[in-house]
Amino acid sequence: MRILLVEDEEKVARFISIGLKAERFAVDAARDGQEGLEMATLNPYDLLIIDLMLPKLSGTELIRRVRRQNSGVPIVVLTARDALADKVANFEAGADDYLTKPFAFAELLVRIKALLRRGAVNRANVIQIADLEIDRLAHQVRRDGTAIKLTAKEYALLEYLASNAGRVLSRTMIVEHVWDQSFEGLTNIVDVYVRQLRAKIDEPFPKKLIHTVRSVGYVINEDVVE
Amino acid sequence: MNSQSIHFRLIVWYAGVLLVVLIGFGAFTYTTLRFFSKQVLQETMDHRAQKIVELLASDAAAQDPDYVPREIVKRYDPAANDRFVRITRGDGGLVFLSSAPANHSFIPREVGAFRGTPAPSGAYQVTTPEKTQLLIATQRIHVGSEDYLVEVGGTLAATEQVLHGLLMTLLLGLPVILGVVIAGGYVLTKRALQPVQTMMRAAQEITLSHLGRRLPTLQSDDEIAHLAVVLNQMIARLDESFQNTQRFTSDASHELRTPLTIMRGELEALLLGRSLEPDLRDALGSLLEEVERLVRIVEGLFALSRLDTGEAQTERVRLDLAKLAETTADQMCLLAEVKHIDLIRETSQRVEIEGDRARLKQLVVNLLDNAIKYTPENGRVALAVRSENSTALLEVSDTGPGVSEVALPHVFERFYRADEVRSREIGGAGLGLSIVQSICAAHGGSVTAANTPPRGCRFTIELPLAPRN
Repeated sequence: MRILLVEDEEKVARFISIGLKAERFAVDAARDGQEGLEMATLNPYDLLIIDLMLPKLSGTELIRRVRRQNSGVPIVVLTARDALADKVANFEAGADDYLTKPFAFAELLVRIKALLRRGAVNRANVIQIADLEIDRLAHQVRRDGTAIKLTAKEYALLEYLASNAGRVLSRTMIVEHVWDQSFEGLTNIVDVYVRQLRAKIDEPFPKKLIHTVRSVGYVINEDVVE
Repeated sequence: MNSQSIHFRLIVWYAGVLLVVLIGFGAFTYTTLRFFSKQVLQETMDHRAQKIVELLASDAAAQDPDYVPREIVKRYDPAANDRFVRITRGDGGLVFLSSAPANHSFIPREVGAFRGTPAPSGAYQVTTPEKTQLLIATQRIHVGSEDYLVEVGGTLAATEQVLHGLLMTLLLGLPVILGVVIAGGYVLTKRALQPVQTMMRAAQEITLSHLGRRLPTLQSDDEIAHLAVVLNQMIARLDESFQNTQRFTSDASHELRTPLTIMRGELEALLLGRSLEPDLRDALGSLLEEVERLVRIVEGLFALSRLDTGEAQTERVRLDLAKLAETTADQMCLLAEVKHIDLIRETSQRVEIEGDRARLKQLVVNLLDNAIKYTPENGRVALAVRSENSTALLEVSDTGPGVSEVALPHVFERFYRADEVRSREIGGAGLGLSIVQSICAAHGGSVTAANTPPRGCRFTIELPLAPRN
């Protein structure tokens, strides 16, 4: 997987590159918008990471131009501005995800991985993970043939985890998806709900499905994920 | 009219001073007039008494005993002119007494005899049984072997009448003059203070979010026009410093993000990458925790600065606050449940307000989170939404330890910590309640905190209701 990182702040670019390389990604770095556009035009990248405040060519303009050439490539925006208006403007320009500085590197990694495998989101009506069965039409959950009663929030949380089975989801992603922006900064709410969900889904059974990924978030999977 | 207003006080002072001046002037006029008219009368009487004395002393009087009475009647005609003339000898024998006046205002015979130390000349005042005031001048003369006392008097009736008329005029005129003065003063001060009223209304409309506005300046060149100019200069300085503060907060939060990103990223890379000595790992982990706290503070500050600039309020929709609170409580109820806290909701009444849904939700989240955090296990948190008069009320009360009275007025201040130790344990950024207050202010409302003895405290949000359709 080859990633282009367009970031003018040298130190930020450095730790992102090191971190991504450790995850076995090939990373090219560009220092301004113009250079980024040239590199994105010349090489086929699997993903672009673009900072918004760039010299020569702004991040938003860069996204717009890249989209004009290659509509498919996933784009993650990094920015020090998190006003809602900025977010809307960049999603309209063609960004796929948005991370506000200062972000946790693990958060960036989780989002990159989610974007690179975006097509794999399970949209089936019934999701099956080991002996856990989630009926998305009836909002019913069974495990080992036994019906499990969940509250609306617990169900929403389980469905989000299950439709991304095998994929690590960060607490922030879970808050944004299952709750909404108003709950940002209240990430302990995720831990509380996951604990409750585990009590109902996992505790009565020998095989545990929900796994904690240290300092990142949670994943639901048949096998233990590293 | 407000008894403390300049308007009222000006009129009261104006009328009061005028009343005192008028009463003083009236009293002075009255006494002066009385004094002078009496003096004039007395001088006339003295003069006549002198003339009669001269008659008594004349040769003609010595030859003809009827000379004096004849001359008196001829010259002064006391009966026709309401005058009183009496001449008595030293032994009390009556020499002459004028006849009763035409208007019968007094009977000369009944006017009491002069009792006093004999003096060459003098005057006294008597009241006749008919209640007529007589001013009588006296003269003594020694002619031959006889002493004579000459008394010449006139009634004070005319003088009294004039004085009475003056008094009536003053008593009737005073209220009329006062009335005119108060009415005139009312109109004048109202006109003079009209620009102040206009300025007051304009000033009321200048809030933090409308500091760009100015007071209306007048075309005139008076003190009030100058006041408006001076106040406008002050507002301009306020506006500038407020904008500077906002820009600083915004820029500072922005500039802080990049170094924080680097610190966080580098620390995370160090902690994830290699196997480290336990001491070093602990130190780096602690550093990372602190960086994350800084991140939360910066984010809170940034959120506040956006609320202050009005940038955050992007939508203004009609919504049911009770429903919004109910849904939010639903989404958080597990936080309460794990602490065995009873989360009571009184949100059945429909309460419509206008505002930014996301911000209002954040307000409820912050208040509930705060209440749940500080309430011990098995406690109770109550959320109530209702409308009262034209206000939407949202109350969150808990059974936590409450807030000390000293800290109560400060709980909404940025970075204020009611209890250092407890807050550190829970690890908030100290901005949650400030954000609540800013959201309230952005919606034209307010938030207050109060203790609810014996334990716990209550936060009350007041927001304007949406206008009826």
